[in-house]
Amino acid sequence: MEFYHFVEQTIQLDNREERARVEHFLANHSLRLEADVDYSIAIYRQGMVVATGSLAGNVLKCIAVDPEYEGRGIAGRVVSRLVAEAYSRGLLHLFIYTKPENAGKFSQLGFYKIIEVPAGVVLMENRPDGITAYLKQLKKYKRSANMVASIVVNCNPFTKGHQYLIEKAARACELLHLFVVWEDRSVFPPEVRYQLVKDGIKHLPNVEVHKGKDYIISNVTFPTYFIKSPDEAVKTQSLLDIKIFAKFIAPALGIKRRYVGTEPDCPVTGRYNQTMKTVLPGYGIEVIELPRLSIKGVVVSASQVRKHLRQKELHLVKELVPEITYNFLRSKDADSILEKIGNEAGGGLIGAKKNRNGRHT
Amino acid sequence: MELKKTGMAGTLESSDILVVIEPKNSEGIDILLESVVIKQFGDQIRKIISNTLRELGINQVIVRANDKGALDCVIKARVQAAVSRATGSKECFWRVVES
Amino acid sequence: MYVPGNNPGLLKDAHIYGADALMFDLEDSVSLQEKDTARFLVFNALLSIDYEGTETVVRVNSLETPYGRDDFEAIVRAKPDTIRLPKTEEAEEVKEADLLIGEIEGKAGIELGTIKLMAALESARGIVNAYDIATASPRLVALALGAEDFVADIKTSRSSEGCELLFARSQVLIAARAARLFALDTVFSDLKDQAAFAREVEYIKQLGFDGKSVLHPRQVETVHRIYTPTRTEIEQARRIITAMQEAEQKGAGVISLDQQMIDKPIVERAQRVLALAEATGMNKEDGGR
Repeated sequence: MEFYHFVEQTIQLDNREERARVEHFLANHSLRLEADVDYSIAIYRQGMVVATGSLAGNVLKCIAVDPEYEGRGIAGRVVSRLVAEAYSRGLLHLFIYTKPENAGKFSQLGFYKIIEVPAGVVLMENRPDGITAYLKQLKKYKRSANMVASIVVNCNPFTKGHQYLIEKAARACELLHLFVVWEDRSVFPPEVRYQLVKDGIKHLPNVEVHKGKDYIISNVTFPTYFIKSPDEAVKTQSLLDIKIFAKFIAPALGIKRRYVGTEPDCPVTGRYNQTMKTVLPGYGIEVIELPRLSIKGVVVSASQVRKHLRQKELHLVKELVPEITYNFLRSKDADSILEKIGNEAGGGLIGAKKNRNGRHT
Repeated sequence: MELKKTGMAGTLESSDILVVIEPKNSEGIDILLESVVIKQFGDQIRKIISNTLRELGINQVIVRANDKGALDCVIKARVQAAVSRATGSKECFWRVVES
Repeated sequence: MYVPGNNPGLLKDAHIYGADALMFDLEDSVSLQEKDTARFLVFNALLSIDYEGTETVVRVNSLETPYGRDDFEAIVRAKPDTIRLPKTEEAEEVKEADLLIGEIEGKAGIELGTIKLMAALESARGIVNAYDIATASPRLVALALGAEDFVADIKTSRSSEGCELLFARSQVLIAARAARLFALDTVFSDLKDQAAFAREVEYIKQLGFDGKSVLHPRQVETVHRIYTPTRTEIEQARRIITAMQEAEQKGAGVISLDQQMIDKPIVERAQRVLALAEATGMNKEDGGR
């Protein structure tokens, strides 16, 4: 009854000592405790860590088992605990990143492969029909047209810059599929961003607006987009996200072109755009970079808008956003969002902590 | 009993079974089963799952189960626990189970 | 022997290690998130697994927790031999449990009084109230000491000599004896130190305990070995019982053996020796292990 020898513990991530023990164990297995992790457990044997695993939202990550204890069901125990915790948080659709050599092990633990990228990463999910169900949903919007294009936007919040890009793209093709990033990690919640875009492009009859969900620039496919750490992971994740788009989403809708705004400032988005230009043509998808709208010589950006909001310069915001966004910002519904933006400026310890996951700029 | 939300119970450890129960819009019990012993016991496991659900009056449901060689009584226990989590009810549960 | 309530791998063949009783645990070995699933698991295991006559005990959560009542509702219907009440501090708690069990037995069509109770004393208050607790319900069959919580409560920790437990052990034992209940000693957690475990078993046997809770199959044999009566003891006990039966048949008021008068405590001790011999397998013709 080996059961008794292994003690399971939830790691208090704020406790420096506990955290260090797990980090050290992961380092021995060439892994890091990633910044966006919000729940970790460790399994101890005689006071030593022999296995660990973490959750970052609906993604299981940073999982390692001491090879000496492999084959004793420890990995199953770690994954079970993480799955149970995710379910208790209401997260039902779960994902896992792993190395190709471990994919078999996780498929025994109820995960199904979505895609593998050359850098040696496999993305898996806990439902056999996860991505196919999403594609089936999308296919309802498939229409034959001469040129079907797509564009992916976060719109945090929807600006005149976004409107300009979308109008330009829509004019240059017959049908434009627009995906709104669905992750709830921007100041403006997904429902709000989606609604503003949808209302803001009502005048364009050939645009279909979709929710990006887990498979397009999400906490799953592209976590560094939200944490903005300019490291190696960006490269791998960009590739993974773009490959899912190329292999699954584009064919489902017959997309032959992807539009993107030029990105002079943010290195992560810059790298993403670069990867797109390298990868997508190989799948018969053209990438067109559109110059962004400037007003009074300044490029319009959502981060500029949030900066003005933070400084309570609503009159300056008015110049940068469509009427629909401006009206929303002045409505009661925006109160809590504006308060959140205000707090971000506060700086200091609390501000920094709140912002641990970072916000896309 | 009516399923209000998704319910999960069990683990992926040896001799256990992880059961996820989701409400479905239409009549019927759909079972997606994976098992280390699917060849020998697949049909029996499905039967235990659907019998347990019927006993509880559940017949609009999708079940996803990953079996690691669980005994019949463990399968039953995990299905009941997942249902009780999905219905949010404990009331009368034991009496239903009993009959 | 303790069996964690949420581990299917351990539930199914827990009885093969020779423990006299299995104690399925819904309390401390089960995390708060899994209280419900463990309850379903133990419930179904009791209803369907044949433990081949091994006594079954379920340690439920206290009625003061949000889980206690559901535990009783489920477990009584699964009919273990005994329910163990954790962290008992007052006779009132035993009475409450007794009433609740009776109520559920009634609802479920189980004969009233079927399910027995065992009270675990795990705090200073519990120890002080030991005799009141021991006499609180006719369902009670045993008192047990739970030392891990007890030492924390009296602000010390466990030592290998066990001086910190002497009073509690004595109190539990005396209360149990006065109320004619079994007295069971606490667990010994260091599974690696078998020698120290054996010393502790010798010690609590000498204090008078009827048995010891164990955490691991490995500990079962040690307890049996130490509790096994010698052949001479068994032989003597058999003779005493025979003498008693003969005296009963003759209608003699006094039992005598080898020109000595045998009084009631001696008969009871002989009965206990034979029961132990039975439990440890010594009463077989070949002398057991």
